[in-house]
Amino acid sequence: MAKTTATLAELGRRADAGDDGAMYALIDVAAELGVDPDDYKTWTALASFAESRPKAKAPRRRAKAAPAIRTQGLSKSYGDTKALVSLDLEVPKTEVLGYLGPNGAGKTTTIRLLLGLIKPTAGRSEIFGIDTQRDPVAAHKHTAFVPGEVSLWPSLTGAETLHLLGRIHGEVDIAYRDELVERFDLDPSKKVRAYSKGNRQKLILIASLMTRADLLLLDEPTAGLDPLMERTFRECVGEAKERGQTVFLSSHILSEVEALCDRIAILRAGELVEVGTLEQMRHLTALQVEAQLDGTVPDLSRIPGVHGFEVHGKTVRCQVTGPMEPLLRALAKAGVHHMTSREPSLEELFLAHYGGSDAHP
Amino acid sequence: MRIRRRDVYGEGRAARALTLNSAKRALRPGVLWGLVFGALVWSSATTYVKAFPTRASRLTLAASMRGNSGFAALFGPLRRVDTVAGYTAYKVGYTIIIIGAIWGLFIATKLLRGEEESGRWELFLSGATTRRHATLQACIGLLAGATGVWLTTVILAVPAGATKSAGIASSAMLFFVTALVSVVVMFMAVGLLMSQLATTRHDANLFGGAVIAAAYVIRMVADSDASLSWLRWASPFGWIENTHLLTGSRGVAFLPIVWFVVILVAVSYGLASARDAGASLLAGRDTGKPHTLFLGSQAGLSVRLARGAVIAWTTIFAAVGVVFGLVTVSAGRLLRASPGMNRAFGRLGAVRQGAVIYLGAVFLIVAILIAVAVAGQISSIRSEESTGHLDNLLVRPVRRSSWLLSRVVIGIVLIALAGVVAGIAAWAGSASQHAGLGLVELLEAGINVTPPAVVVLGVGVLAFAIVPRAAVMVAYGLIVWSFVVDLVAALFNGNHWLKDTSPLSHVTPAPAAAPNWESAAILVLIGLATCAIGVAIFSRRDLVSA
Ligand SMILES: Nc1ncnc2c1ncn2[C@@H]1O[C@H](COP(=O)(O)OP(=O)(O)OP(=O)(O)O)[C@@H](O)[C@H]1O
Ligand SMILES: [Mg+2]
Repeated sequence: MAKTTATLAELGRRADAGDDGAMYALIDVAAELGVDPDDYKTWTALASFAESRPKAKAPRRRAKAAPAIRTQGLSKSYGDTKALVSLDLEVPKTEVLGYLGPNGAGKTTTIRLLLGLIKPTAGRSEIFGIDTQRDPVAAHKHTAFVPGEVSLWPSLTGAETLHLLGRIHGEVDIAYRDELVERFDLDPSKKVRAYSKGNRQKLILIASLMTRADLLLLDEPTAGLDPLMERTFRECVGEAKERGQTVFLSSHILSEVEALCDRIAILRAGELVEVGTLEQMRHLTALQVEAQLDGTVPDLSRIPGVHGFEVHGKTVRCQVTGPMEPLLRALAKAGVHHMTSREPSLEELFLAHYGGSDAHP
Repeated sequence: MRIRRRDVYGEGRAARALTLNSAKRALRPGVLWGLVFGALVWSSATTYVKAFPTRASRLTLAASMRGNSGFAALFGPLRRVDTVAGYTAYKVGYTIIIIGAIWGLFIATKLLRGEEESGRWELFLSGATTRRHATLQACIGLLAGATGVWLTTVILAVPAGATKSAGIASSAMLFFVTALVSVVVMFMAVGLLMSQLATTRHDANLFGGAVIAAAYVIRMVADSDASLSWLRWASPFGWIENTHLLTGSRGVAFLPIVWFVVILVAVSYGLASARDAGASLLAGRDTGKPHTLFLGSQAGLSVRLARGAVIAWTTIFAAVGVVFGLVTVSAGRLLRASPGMNRAFGRLGAVRQGAVIYLGAVFLIVAILIAVAVAGQISSIRSEESTGHLDNLLVRPVRRSSWLLSRVVIGIVLIALAGVVAGIAAWAGSASQHAGLGLVELLEAGINVTPPAVVVLGVGVLAFAIVPRAAVMVAYGLIVWSFVVDLVAALFNGNHWLKDTSPLSHVTPAPAAAPNWESAAILVLIGLATCAIGVAIFSRRDLVSA
């Protein structure tokens, strides 16, 4: 994220020079002012407009004592494998953060580091200001964790497991627990070894949600759940958010992330490549434009921000980054019969970030 | 099914590749153990020739050991100890038999249960044939392993026996090695069966370990008293004794061995097919009312998880104690008739009559059994971590040190319980025969043999903290080392530093000799200190899955 002390003018300059962090900051500013960044030719222009408005101030970090999660240079290597490279991430209280990345990107590693199950090779992490390595027990009092691969004691029944895990955590909302058992449609009298994979997942979800912990660390929590149960899960996370719980959600199900998350962080090969709201990310990604023209297709190759353009007869397809105006002007000259444009879905964003890269070595 | 069977890789080729792989995985350790066994035979033969060079010295030795039921209970009946062959069979026979049995069991469960757990076979073969194929593949792999042990041991042992001074006929040595390797094969078959019955490799090893312990104790009783020698037929180890290793080479005694292996393999193969129907064999009931007595804390959970093992071992120690108490008097009577007894035991500091001397030797076995029980605890500590069960505790407000400490305390309780129960049971058994041994005396004898187990616990916990994946091997390895160290020390001219590394070598044969509480205290301190270091280190390391 952008340094919070920077002036708006500085941010504008840096954004024009290609600094993503500065761009996010300005997109935030624009949102605050209720203007569309696309209305401005350059980021500097947007910045100077914002400067002229008395209401706008340089964005400052939310004045909270301690964020739910803060990592500084958090790194983990296994021999030559760099599972996580100097992660700097801050998740404010009450936020739902989607944590995305291809297989092996380091998502599980991050969560296990936050839980103190593994030790960082460098850097540190805090949960509500508590150092997770120095005082994991205190940190865990505020945390509930759902792993993607559940491994519980096979000889205990579901009810026994819930009892045990509740007693170990300390505080449990018993009424909520029973409600969750109902909603997830779980038979707690069965032994864990007799549960199907999805039922085991439900059991651990209930065990975590019933604590009403301040921070939920979820690592692919819906692996193996049927669509009905996945909906129940989404409802539960929504309720948690309303209650002011913070959620850290690692998932491969993009619709889930799109529906639940305030912000999204994208990890690739152990490195954080993007953090921001979906809106912010969309601004940085090309808009898909398709137009049917009346006349012949003009030469669009020299219009700034336009690329990947294809022509089929009178139909033109292209992607646009930045302001639309130059393209619109050029197309208008040829006469537009029909035109659609749409924002990229999270899936397209995701693929744009991973596709053809070193994500799958 | 039909579609999956037409796999792109070709089922036949995949199966061949996997079979080759498992054969390799059994062959390598097989050859390694063959080297160890061969070296043991070689060292025993050469040290005997050196220590007892003349006919007279050998006869004196034989006379001093004759009729010693304590020795017989430990290492099997003594036959022709006045020859290199007889002495070698007696001296290294049981060391190799025990190691061979444990290795056979472990390699079988590894190739079968372990492979199944890893799901490797499921990748290549269709479900209906998977388990039968896996069994077959494991059998072929195990055969390769057994051949490796046999060949390597033969290559080392036959020339060692064939020297002029040793004078062991090659045919007798071949028979000896074959009989020893047949133990490996028998317990491979046991491992095969247990892999079908148990749901995890850990459980399969546990069940198999119980079979080994039972077989050993049965033959101990059989060898304690001539009137009970028929019991030998009830134990795989007894069958091996009946072949008269190196001293008679009775081929007929192989019959039960062959039958045992054939039947176990056939049953395993049958079960492997039956299991395809989806029925799991030792599953028990899958629903139940909640029992939350122990489930209020992590320590309570540890107690609940260890409960079964602690009860089972306590029962075993009670049974072993009673049985040995019962045969004490008759075994002691035999012993007193032995002319050279005083000389033989003078060295051990024993001054009491036969029964006491017999029990002194027998309690050393109890020491080993307690150590094995504790190694099992190390295995279950490690398996809590490797299965990922431990994660569930440590992501909640549970201190790592508290968890490991509660497991250590359970280990110590198990050790103490074992010693006390074995002592009391031995007293009860002997009292019923009017042996005239005091309760306090035997209670002391029971407690006297517990310190080595504390060391095994400490070393195991330390290994768990530093090299988690090797912890189980280290714990059992230390016990095996205690067996072997005597013989290895002989190779290095009785290096006492080497001997000191064996915790068992510091135990006096109480009640035959007075317990040495000072060295016992040192062993316990070493054990507790290593435990403490292990607990401290464990808090600072990564959790490591399987
Ligand atoms: N115990 C370990 N030993 C060695 N390498 C490891 C270990 N754990 C993780 N890694 C490596 O670290 C990298 C990150 O793994 P991680 O499990 O964090 O990925 P992930 O983002 O959770 O992937 P997935 O989406 O598949 O769950 C991978 O390259 C992995 O191979
Ligand atoms: Mg993962």
